[in-house]
Amino acid sequence: MALWVDKYRPRELSKLDYHKDQAENLRNLCKQSDFPHLMFYGPSGAGKKTRIMCLLREMYGAGVERLRNETMNFTTPSNRKIDIMTVGSNYHLEVNPSDAGMYDRTVVIDLIKQVAQTHQIDVNGQREFKVIVISEGDELTKDAQHALRRTMEKYVATCRIILSVNSTSRIIPAIRSRCLGIRVPAPSEAEMIAVLQNTCKREGLVLPPELAKRVVEKSERNMRRALLMLEASKVQQYPFTAQQQIAELDWQVYLRETAAQIVSEQTPAKLEKIRDRLYELLSQGVPPNLIFRGLVEQLVNNCDMSIKAKTLEYATQYEHRMQNGAKHIFHLEAFVAQFMNIYKKFLAELVMTDDF
Amino acid sequence: MDQYPDENEEFELQYQDEMELLEDMPHEYDAVDNGPSTSRQAAAALEQQQQKANTTVAGFKDVSRFSDSTLNSPQLSQITFGARQSDSAGGGPVNRRLFGTPRGPAVGRGCSTPMQRMPPIEEVLTPTVDRTAPLLNAAAEQLQELGLKANNKRRLERDLFGDIDDLYHESYEDPMVKKARTEEQRDNEAIERILELRRKMRESSKTVRQDEVSRLRALHDFKMKNLSYEIPTWPFMALQRSDLERLYVRFHSEEYEQRQLEMLSARDNLTGSLLGEAKQQVWQEANELVLRRMAPPTQLVNPEPVAPSVDTGRLWVDKYKPRKYIDLLSDEMTNRSLLYWLKMWDKVVFGKVFHSKQEQQTANTGVAASQQLNSFNKRTGKFESNGGWRQRKARQALNTNVDELGRPMQKVALLCGPPGLGKTTLAHTIARHAGYNVREINASDDRSPEAFKLALENGTQMSSVLNEDKRPNCIVLDEIDGAPRQSIEYLVKFVSDGIFSKAKSKGAKAEHNVLRRPIICICNDIYDPALRPLRQIAFVVSFPPIDAARLAERLLQIAHKEHLKTDFGALIALAEKSGNDVRSCISTMQFFNAQKHCLTLQDVLNNNLGQKDRHQGLFDVWGAIFRIQRPKKQLQQSSSNNAEEAAQVTMTNMSVATRVRNVLDVVHSSGDYERLTQGVYENYLQQRMPDPNFTGICEALQWFCFSDALQHQIARQQNYSIYPYLQYGFVVWHLLFATLAWPKIAFPTRGFEFNQKSTNQRNIFQSLRKGITTSAQGVGQGNILLLDTVPLLKRILSPQLRSVAVQLLSQKEQYDLRHTIQVMVDLGLTFVQVKSAEGHYVFQTEPDLDTLCSFPGFPGLTLPYFSRQLIAREVDLERIRRAAPKGGSADNATKSAAAGAAGATGAPGSKQKAIAARLPNHLQTLKPKQISDFNAPPKQQLTKDFFGRVTHKTTAAAAAEEAKTDAIVKSPIWYRYKEGFNNAVRKDVHLNELL
Repeated sequence: MALWVDKYRPRELSKLDYHKDQAENLRNLCKQSDFPHLMFYGPSGAGKKTRIMCLLREMYGAGVERLRNETMNFTTPSNRKIDIMTVGSNYHLEVNPSDAGMYDRTVVIDLIKQVAQTHQIDVNGQREFKVIVISEGDELTKDAQHALRRTMEKYVATCRIILSVNSTSRIIPAIRSRCLGIRVPAPSEAEMIAVLQNTCKREGLVLPPELAKRVVEKSERNMRRALLMLEASKVQQYPFTAQQQIAELDWQVYLRETAAQIVSEQTPAKLEKIRDRLYELLSQGVPPNLIFRGLVEQLVNNCDMSIKAKTLEYATQYEHRMQNGAKHIFHLEAFVAQFMNIYKKFLAELVMTDDF
Repeated sequence: MDQYPDENEEFELQYQDEMELLEDMPHEYDAVDNGPSTSRQAAAALEQQQQKANTTVAGFKDVSRFSDSTLNSPQLSQITFGARQSDSAGGGPVNRRLFGTPRGPAVGRGCSTPMQRMPPIEEVLTPTVDRTAPLLNAAAEQLQELGLKANNKRRLERDLFGDIDDLYHESYEDPMVKKARTEEQRDNEAIERILELRRKMRESSKTVRQDEVSRLRALHDFKMKNLSYEIPTWPFMALQRSDLERLYVRFHSEEYEQRQLEMLSARDNLTGSLLGEAKQQVWQEANELVLRRMAPPTQLVNPEPVAPSVDTGRLWVDKYKPRKYIDLLSDEMTNRSLLYWLKMWDKVVFGKVFHSKQEQQTANTGVAASQQLNSFNKRTGKFESNGGWRQRKARQALNTNVDELGRPMQKVALLCGPPGLGKTTLAHTIARHAGYNVREINASDDRSPEAFKLALENGTQMSSVLNEDKRPNCIVLDEIDGAPRQSIEYLVKFVSDGIFSKAKSKGAKAEHNVLRRPIICICNDIYDPALRPLRQIAFVVSFPPIDAARLAERLLQIAHKEHLKTDFGALIALAEKSGNDVRSCISTMQFFNAQKHCLTLQDVLNNNLGQKDRHQGLFDVWGAIFRIQRPKKQLQQSSSNNAEEAAQVTMTNMSVATRVRNVLDVVHSSGDYERLTQGVYENYLQQRMPDPNFTGICEALQWFCFSDALQHQIARQQNYSIYPYLQYGFVVWHLLFATLAWPKIAFPTRGFEFNQKSTNQRNIFQSLRKGITTSAQGVGQGNILLLDTVPLLKRILSPQLRSVAVQLLSQKEQYDLRHTIQVMVDLGLTFVQVKSAEGHYVFQTEPDLDTLCSFPGFPGLTLPYFSRQLIAREVDLERIRRAAPKGGSADNATKSAAAGAAGATGAPGSKQKAIAARLPNHLQTLKPKQISDFNAPPKQQLTKDFFGRVTHKTTAAAAAEEAKTDAIVKSPIWYRYKEGFNNAVRKDVHLNELL
């Protein structure tokens, strides 16, 4: 519990810093000593997991905080062994099925059956159901989601499922209708600044409001990121100054530099260098859609108004195509080349109009 | 070759293989058994009898052939009758000249060259009523003689030597002179001799070219004999031409007229002019006859006494398979090197001496023979294509050529080359030539390791009972590249095991396992991964492609024998088209023969026959995509019907349509679209292209996206119905990027590197995730951890610490250090010392956080070596503390640890000691032992600083010092292990326990 993210994480619904109305609703939900399947959705770093843990604590008491790591083994129909790491207490189990990749269907089926088929022995004073928390639920494949929809109904007596997803659009409607959706929006800047100040106060540090504001801006309203950034800044330089450098994410900087290079020069040789950089990003595990997004944001910022629309149009086109393919580098490079194409044309027109 | 070479023949054996070649020829007549006779006189007598009785098998055999076609045909007599009219002796010289064989003085001995004993043709052609009798006579005589030779080996030797004596007298020169010559020369001679022999055979079969000349000459002769501008001496009739020139035409006798009429009637079925095709056919047949007499091996490929044209049931490929060494079409150096290797087995297999180095000294040929090849290599460099032959030979030449048992160092020969070059044929022919019985194991047999083992052991250690001539076995493992890997591993073990068991013990049992028979393996692709172990121990013979001209000549011979009308050009074209695949050429010819009895250049060019799906390397395919073929000369069929001018040299059509077709063909033949796509992708930007606006690149990339989508769909849904669309991308890329210049193509490694790196990163990330304890769940999971937490974590874990002792750190540093340690323990990270690539030690995070999410130009963990070392130690301590049993003591332990870290807390020493005593051994750290006892504290406290001034420690520090002293440390038992002392393994044992 050394990182501030963990150390100052609210553990009870009553101690949540923001979205207090929602916290009240959740507490009311627990009062009936039962709840339906839940789906927490909202951007990353908004506090979904925090709320889930608070809710569980509200339900089961402090016992849920006695966590243990467990590795579960699954065997796919094709005889492939998969290890899935789970974190759980006596009352709940948290999994991230996207670890299994394309075999997540097996994981979902087996895991839920395992959990759901074992009834609680000590019924008195406890709930008769366990909770399975599925994080990154939107990474589940369609197959897994379809497998989930039946088990969710079948074992409803013995287990509840809490999904934590970023976007409901990637969850099939059948699951969406089976869950109670709880939206956890990203905290507002003011709320975040308050949290940061509060944290610093508890750490015994002095945080200039300007710096807090800058950290919040850099973090893109991601609470986790903001706290980590603050902590990194503290390690780099402590008595805080308002204008001190804030640690940034390397891949974001790298992506920004890449976008700048695209705008600076449009030649096949440059395209090849860009390809190397894209390869680098991909191999470091940066998801291609994030790369797309980062590139487009930067390119659109850096180019003329007249080609912004076109850039966005192409970006959507190639991003869509990328979903149908497996080699993301082709699509990324295709988009870069297309941008270079329209940018060059734009520059040529500019020169023409200047000349005459 | 019906018996092994024995001592008497050693000389011959050692000498030249060519001698055996010569010897081989008459052996072809083995089938014709004429019964034994010991002298030529007896043979002659017998022959006379047989001739009269007309009962000889041989007589029948060839009479049927002769009488139905060759010598009986009137056309043949037409050639010579003019000459006979004017000069009765003229036919002889003409024939000799045509057949290129000098009429030697030693007529009686020329057994191997029966030509010398062959009666002059005009003798046979005497226009008598009973022409068959002398014919029979001649033919029977020939065959008789040859049959005799075959059956009487002893006599044959004498004949043979005599024969060689006058043919190759240079090989009988003085040994001294011989020694003086270099081995190279001798080897050259040997090869030249074979080539010469081949050339002779070839010349004798080159009928078409000679035919033209002889036809003209015959025509001219005919004119000269029968027409005249002046008044001739023979009876004539005068005629006047349209240009008023007067001609005198010869008058013939009635008898002659009659004969002419007969001839005409006989020629009814033949079309063409007087001296046209009909004569060509005569020439073919005549030549065939001569050839059959002169070089029996090639001629008598079909031992059945039926005419070849009747024999349609057999495949030509099988029918015209080379039976003898000299028939082989493959490269002479290849043949010889393999034969040489096989001969090296002679000592083990036949128990007779082959050119082992020492024995060679006396025989004075072996050294030459063994070194010939080396020196020859060096000079010509011809062996360089033959894999490791040259190097291995050199290595063998260093120690000995053979091992203790007299076997060659490489127990296995590995023939490799594309299909259809005659590898199998070569192996069989050479093995038989060297006196072995061939046992072939090929892909059609069971090649599981067990079956393989059985076959190998049976083949090498047993001999077939049914094998009447008791030849030893030679195992030929055909198509070995398709064998399972275990089988090949077994083979390698089998081959090399012999050496081990031999080396281990000299007992008979050990020698039982020794490999005593040669093994020849044949494969198409030598770089098959399964063959790697074999490749290292084997004698690798790689097959160079066959010369197209040489192949075409052989095809021509076959064509003549099968009465297939064709010409040399067509056959050359056929050979080239098939990529010099002998098998496919012959099959094509047979196909045409079955169709219409004529094979022209048009047929070859028009047809897709003989063209096979040749595998092209990836680079060839990429080359074809990135390069526009230059128009090249090409034989093409013209529209005119004239058969003579059917072939025309034109430029190939390089229109877009052709290019598209070419690219599709090439890509289709390769098939590995995914890798091809990757190759194009990684190379297309390097191509020189005039594409200022990126339109071409954009289009190309759209196609890349398209093919990626297709491939993804195929892989996901196993839907191969969309597979054919993949190849059109290559056409687009070709049209966009292909230039006339030679493209620079690099092998695509980027994609592979990318995959490797991604996998590596993923593994590190997985291990990082596994290490995270339950108390650090806030760092997120999956991508969030990787993208948000890890980059910032690197900053958090890089506190700025001065390189001083822990106690001297400032408060902020202390705090940062403690924080860092806590975080690292939470996340399961630690620093481990590893040796870097440069050789010095570095501390690296474990799991390697530094490589995760690291981009060129960005700092990772900025901790210096010292800090890392410090943190590593503290992290270990912290781990131990956390792992300590929970409860009251744990509380104290953490407190004491905190005290230790903070440097100055006023915890009483006794309590500390008690805690320390309660700690289990493995949790205790070594503390310096106090030199003095408790009764001398003031002395101890009197420490001096650098300048000699007395410094006083604070009482708190003293307490802390004391806290470090440990009761157990004081214990007298220390263990010394290697370089240090340790009291970690220690137990207090009281004496009374032992008593």
